[in-house]
Amino acid sequence: MWNLLKGIARPKDLRAEGILGMNARNYDIISKNNVRRLYPLVDDKVQTKMLAEKIGISTPQLIGIIEFQHEVRNFQQLVKGHKSFVIKPAHGSGGKGVLVITHWNEDVFETASHKILNFHDVYQHISNILSGLYSLGGQYDTAVIEEMVHFSDAFQNFSYQGVPDVRIIVYKGYPAMAMMRLATRQSAGRANLHQGAVGVGLDVHDGKTLQAVMYNKPISFHPDTKADLKTLQVPFWREHLLIGAKAFEMTGLGYLGADIVLDKTHGPMMLELNARPGLAIQIANGKGLIGRLQKIDETYPAGLTPEERVDFVLSQT
Amino acid sequence: MKKLFSVRKVLTLCLLLSLVWTGVCAYYKIRYWGFGLHPHASTNVWRIDAHIQFVPTGGPIEVSFGIPQESAEYKILNEDVSAKGYDVKKSQDGKRLVLSSPAKEKVQNIYYRLKVYDNEDSRGKLADPTKPQLEKPVYDEEMTQQAEDIWAAAEAFEGRLPQKLIALFNQQPLDASLNAFLPEELNEKQRVMKMIELLAFKGVPARMARGVRLEEGKQESLPDLMLESYDGDKWRLYDIYSGKDGLPKNFMVFQRGGKSLLDVSGGAESRVRFSALKSATSTFKMAGHRAKINDLESAYEYSIYSLPLLAQNTLKWLMIFPLAILITVLMRNVVGLSTMGTFTPMLIALSLVQTGFFEGIVCFTLILTLGLLLRLMLSKLNLLLVPRIASVVIFVILIMQGLTVIGYRLDIAVAASAVFFPIIITAWIIERASIIWEEEGPMNTIKEIIYSMFTAIVTYFVVASEEIRHVMFAFNEINLVILFTVMLLGTYTGYRLTELKRFYPLSKGK
Repeated sequence: MWNLLKGIARPKDLRAEGILGMNARNYDIISKNNVRRLYPLVDDKVQTKMLAEKIGISTPQLIGIIEFQHEVRNFQQLVKGHKSFVIKPAHGSGGKGVLVITHWNEDVFETASHKILNFHDVYQHISNILSGLYSLGGQYDTAVIEEMVHFSDAFQNFSYQGVPDVRIIVYKGYPAMAMMRLATRQSAGRANLHQGAVGVGLDVHDGKTLQAVMYNKPISFHPDTKADLKTLQVPFWREHLLIGAKAFEMTGLGYLGADIVLDKTHGPMMLELNARPGLAIQIANGKGLIGRLQKIDETYPAGLTPEERVDFVLSQT
Repeated sequence: MKKLFSVRKVLTLCLLLSLVWTGVCAYYKIRYWGFGLHPHASTNVWRIDAHIQFVPTGGPIEVSFGIPQESAEYKILNEDVSAKGYDVKKSQDGKRLVLSSPAKEKVQNIYYRLKVYDNEDSRGKLADPTKPQLEKPVYDEEMTQQAEDIWAAAEAFEGRLPQKLIALFNQQPLDASLNAFLPEELNEKQRVMKMIELLAFKGVPARMARGVRLEEGKQESLPDLMLESYDGDKWRLYDIYSGKDGLPKNFMVFQRGGKSLLDVSGGAESRVRFSALKSATSTFKMAGHRAKINDLESAYEYSIYSLPLLAQNTLKWLMIFPLAILITVLMRNVVGLSTMGTFTPMLIALSLVQTGFFEGIVCFTLILTLGLLLRLMLSKLNLLLVPRIASVVIFVILIMQGLTVIGYRLDIAVAASAVFFPIIITAWIIERASIIWEEEGPMNTIKEIIYSMFTAIVTYFVVASEEIRHVMFAFNEINLVILFTVMLLGTYTGYRLTELKRFYPLSKGK
């Protein structure tokens, strides 16, 4: 009978592997560790940025925010003096509505994917953000303009366009699992795994590749750049973990996902935080989350500083 | 860490209690209100027309007509007299209808209409503890002899005295003794009168019962007669042909005893003719009457079934929502399908119920396709969000108008069902679909639309079933069960079905 159900796992087997399902994540983990009133801290990127600055997490420099429709027309005034910039909705999620301008002058704007836009296109994009097209509940939103990250050469060849970022799941302040997301031609420069980006599971202890998957299937080489994914090693790993650990103090969320990019000059920078991080990280790692979370619950000490926690994690093998 | 009152335990307890409560209520409703599990369970309702006709003789007219009373056997739902120009009253004891009017010309037609519900549960005998007065017939010697001969002949038959007598009356050819006693050319009524006379001679009080035998398609027929005799503590009815005792299944008594069924003063050639028509009314509509008969009225009055029909229909529609919501919850949290909007598929399903499945699907697809095409043109105009969605809403309304008019002109039911789709919901589907299309590509759009339609269709098949709808309405306590099921599902932490596929690469037991 199980032949008929090829490609379908038995619940028993998934449980044995400690795979966290969506229902269990929502009921057992999120609702018990994340207080609802803290959500706005991570859902609003402007707030996140301010908090991060206070606690000493580096984030891309804020250029300005646009709150009202009549301000949109003057956006060029805001970005004057910046060669490149990124426009994103303050309440967006999953990279929706993010516009990266690498070069611009007067009426010509070049995006990260080498598309040429005119003033009106960018104007329209900001206007869409303000009217809530990309925000979570469709409510009016604010456009955030920040400096573009000049991502490190360390990942050259590992990503097809787009910014490769590291996602760290932080449980009670301890980095529990990590992965890197690499854009592909399939994913159109996006870093969403379900759209065809490559997910590379990273060892939390050293930032080295565990395995890589694309569309749920293990792969060894990047489909577009042909880079050997086994050789991937994230530099400044301790700093990456530290951002994740500090995010716990910063937000008070017991279960969160931190998205971190590596800047050429500024080192690891926090892009955004997520109070409901997805479960695809388990597929990228080939491991279930439940075991990790339980271990943290049962054996990891409470009441340490972020630095102590990161060192504690790094000392575990 | 086991808590005594964990959420799950409390909810499970509530679920069990609601199940028990539903069971008890269902038993009560079936037993006492006559509710059935089947939506088309019906009870017989008879419409009886008594047609009174007479020729006025010039003076003031007074018509007195024996009418049936509320009895355990029959429940009168509705009575109605159509008598133009008459003053209609009921006699004090309610046993007769009295109509009066000044002098009239021409043949008079009066109709007395009754709607009765045959309460088959409580068919019984008519108890009467007071022994009626017996008027012994005054016979001369010869007639006394004849009567005794008759009774002697009747002894040959079995049964009670009236039954023996009836059997003798129906013997072919007639017994000599009876032949001598009865005048020639006897009509039915006179025969019964003779029986009563002979029974009185024997010391048994008896009377005539006039009424209607309820037979399908009965037209303008004479009143049917039965013999009723007193057997010590109650009146017992006998069929005047077969001698069978008890009220036959389909007999409705209009008048009992000596007084005539119809008295007309100021008129001649009076007659009454009966027609009967059977109609099956749903058991549901009868529930109130049944409850009344069973003396459980107050509980009924506070139930939704005592509301006006319009309100009931609205509620009947609402009662199905919890079930549809349950399916939505199951589809999302147990199956794990991501659909456009949480309750959108459910609302589409409910619209499909009104349009019909095939017509609805075709029509909805048309609206969606046209709407998406128009929306695609809109996206070139770069409008602001709210005005853009507002335009899509108006597009949808225009498409619906168009389809309805075309459907009406060409007589295609498919298009005419357009108006049933929730406009705002449809507009949002179009808006969402076009955004997903632009951002995540057509594949994802089609996938999400397919999931949504699948959920809608599953919901439709549950909701469209008349049996299920009936059960949800008749046994509305089920909604409590659904409530606690949904709440309990809120604590479900198992894998969703789609996750079994999603996380398959992670299972080592391949």
